[in-house]
Amino acid sequence: MSRYLAATETDARPAPDRRRTLRQILIEDFFYGPGAILCTLLLCALLAIAAWKLLDWALLDAVFGPTETLDASQACRAEDTEGACWAVIGDKLRLILFGLYPYDLQWRPGLACVLMIALYALSVQRALWRPALAGIWVVFLVAVLILMRGGIAGLEPVGDDQWGGLPVTLILSTFGLGLAFPVAIALALARQQRRFPMLQAASVGVIEFARAVPLVVVLFMASVMLPLFLPADWQVSKLLRVLIAFTLFGAAYLAEVIRGGLQAIPPGQYEAASALSLTYAQSMRDVILPQALRIVIPGIVNIFIGFFKATAIVVVVGIFDLMTAAKRAVADPLWQGFGIEVYLFAGLIYFVFCFSLSRFSARLERDLARDRAS
Amino acid sequence: MTHKAETPLLSITGLNKWFGAYHALRDVDLQVAKGERIVVCGPSGSGKSTLIRCINRIERFEEGRIVLDGLGSAARGRAGQREIEEIRRQVGMVFQHFNLFPHMTVLQNCILAPMRSLRETRATAEAHARELLARVRIADQADKYPGQLSGGQQQRVAIARALCMRPRLMLFDEPTSALDPEMVQEVLDTMVALAEDGMTMICVTHEMGFARQVADRVVFMDRGQILEVAPPADFFDSPRHERSREFLGRILAH
Repeated sequence: MSRYLAATETDARPAPDRRRTLRQILIEDFFYGPGAILCTLLLCALLAIAAWKLLDWALLDAVFGPTETLDASQACRAEDTEGACWAVIGDKLRLILFGLYPYDLQWRPGLACVLMIALYALSVQRALWRPALAGIWVVFLVAVLILMRGGIAGLEPVGDDQWGGLPVTLILSTFGLGLAFPVAIALALARQQRRFPMLQAASVGVIEFARAVPLVVVLFMASVMLPLFLPADWQVSKLLRVLIAFTLFGAAYLAEVIRGGLQAIPPGQYEAASALSLTYAQSMRDVILPQALRIVIPGIVNIFIGFFKATAIVVVVGIFDLMTAAKRAVADPLWQGFGIEVYLFAGLIYFVFCFSLSRFSARLERDLARDRAS
Repeated sequence: MTHKAETPLLSITGLNKWFGAYHALRDVDLQVAKGERIVVCGPSGSGKSTLIRCINRIERFEEGRIVLDGLGSAARGRAGQREIEEIRRQVGMVFQHFNLFPHMTVLQNCILAPMRSLRETRATAEAHARELLARVRIADQADKYPGQLSGGQQQRVAIARALCMRPRLMLFDEPTSALDPEMVQEVLDTMVALAEDGMTMICVTHEMGFARQVADRVVFMDRGQILEVAPPADFFDSPRHERSREFLGRILAH
């Protein structure tokens, strides 16, 4: 065997530039051969046609309001218009957004919506992820309730059978998830521990029941059957009953996701917490849950998004949420036939909320991946 | 007072532990005096780690008594939760894989238990933690996260974290086994310094150099049993038990 001895030391060099110019990207990815050229041109043509048609319908040929001679509804029905009738949105905006809430008081649900959106914006700030956030939630949600219900601070009382539209959707999601989250943590911990078998069995029972029965069935049970079992003088409003059903449902799904996070924590973390004489509650709060929840953030956000959209299902039990409001707006004879526009608008609202959540989740995953790498 | 000095700090009698049907600890007896340094060695699976994990009740046991200065005197490890917490307050533990809390900075790792369990104020806990971090020569890393430190540094933080509870007894469960070779010495140095300060220690380790330098007694275990207890010079130079000789032959061969 011969011996090798390095004669020189190699200095570190900067990595070569791997970025490509636009020209290179076009040639290498889109026009690299006859088939590719054909596909690219064909797809571009199809996209252009589709985009033109959409633009034509949604903007160029659309009706946004009354003309000089015709009112808005008539303008939409005029023979020479084939575009979208956005005028219906303008006319029905308050109904879609706020349902049958007393017209003069609609600043209250409006403000409630702003509060809830502000609450989301606060909740996604990682700097605020500490137990105090729960306090912020309580304050905001109480404020939302006061605004919606009234009856104190000189606000005229408004029964929750008059609530409707976007605030109802947001309330169902926000209160539902806000209540479901602590319940889910309790369920996950109860299912994971081995010390109290009855508690564990109860948790498994609740989770499996809620997961095995369709949400629609639970909603019907909550809105129709529950009152049959309760004493006649127990007045539980339909919205509250539906909210309870949602909470149970959301909690069951969240609990399973959180349990997955708990299982991902190495046993050494539990042992170290015990060895430092932390109590069960202390080690969960300070050591285990902060790590477990961080791991399952994408799963939690996923459930939040699904949950937000699932609230639209309350249409079937007659709760006046955003979706019901959209249906009601279309039912006006004046505007019959313009359902597409109204549903697109409602869809857009759902999309804005869900897409924001999804973006937030993606950003968060990036941040957490960076944290782990360091 | 003389009588008190003779009472061992830790007294293990008739300890038996099963994992399911497997008899993991068999009739273990061991007395540890205050200030004594014990090294526990033996082949893997011999029950060394299980033994020290029973001392702070991270493992439960079926038979016998482990009494720490009057605490935990009930048989079969049936101490109440309060008593177990009190034992754990007095016993520090260092793990093979450090088990630092990765979502907390070094300083937060160190002050958590003193604040929660000893009800120290943040200021007191921080001052004490910084003092101990300085003692394990890692004071400048106090605001970093464990993931940013080398293995040796992490293990020294783990030692400081355990010391922050002002323990009367320190348990070390193979503290250098998960470390890269070049980092073993810095951890052993820290442990030697701790021993020189008079800390009562029970160390499960394969570092025979450390055992020779520091231990008052070496405990050799195999198949869940203590087979030989001797001062390190006697144990290493003239092991009595046949399996001690086999074991030493195997680990000193290379």
